[in-house]
Amino acid sequence: MESKKVAQYGLFATLAILMGYVEMLIPLPLFVPGMKLGLANVVIVVVLYHMGTKPAFYISLVRVVLSGLLFAGFAGLLYSLAGALCSLGVMAALKKTGKCSIAGVSIMGGVFHNVGQIIVAALVVENIKIAYYLPFLLVTGVVTGFLIGFVAKLTLPYLHRR
Amino acid sequence: MKRLDILLVVLVLGVAAVLYGVTMGSAKQGGVAVVTVDGEVKKELPLSQDTVYHLETEKGYNIIEIKEGKAKVIEADCRDGLCTEQKSISKTGESIVCLPHKTVVRVIDAQEQDVDMVVE
Repeated sequence: MESKKVAQYGLFATLAILMGYVEMLIPLPLFVPGMKLGLANVVIVVVLYHMGTKPAFYISLVRVVLSGLLFAGFAGLLYSLAGALCSLGVMAALKKTGKCSIAGVSIMGGVFHNVGQIIVAALVVENIKIAYYLPFLLVTGVVTGFLIGFVAKLTLPYLHRR
Repeated sequence: MKRLDILLVVLVLGVAAVLYGVTMGSAKQGGVAVVTVDGEVKKELPLSQDTVYHLETEKGYNIIEIKEGKAKVIEADCRDGLCTEQKSISKTGESIVCLPHKTVVRVIDAQEQDVDMVVE
């Protein structure tokens, strides 16, 4: 692997973890418990477009495991992992079709991040009624996903320039 | 934004609206708040009766308050404390979830009991 790539991986992974940390410092009005801005997803979307699917997968994995161990503890790790993988899978698939703009990809990523987490949550507490929150999480996923796609779109030209 | 983007967004919002309609449509003022830990029923609290219930789980405690026909988790020693931030519940199907303790408080209809057994 080129040293440039190694540096890139490290930089993006660090950024993703930091974004997750910054997000914890921002208090959000809690319309829905568990609702999040998903700032780390900015980095994942940028990596997905700048470097490709595989790097996005690895960086997402590193981010989830490290920030899980650093901030959330093991139980939280399971939810983040489910959300991140579900979200990334859908985003990669949508990007491949080529019929979606970056905003659409990011929106579906946000939505499926929530869907993945809800599924794991329902399995853990063995209560499907948690799906009660799903409508709210779907809508917040669309809103935050759109914002994140917007930020990623603004970021990418600077990266491509070099 | 391309066409598929807008289609997908409309689809997701549609699903959200339908789910919302289904969950809220079947809801009415409930009779009993059922407290479960890891899927096991620990306590049934009639909403008509003001009370404070102290729940001990393996992972920690949750304090559940029934007041004016509504149930709420007022205190807990879980890591994030998200359960205490959730709104109080009174309609059937509504629930408060504390994931770290695997505790679920759910409102059910007093008539149609959908639990098999109560373990105290």
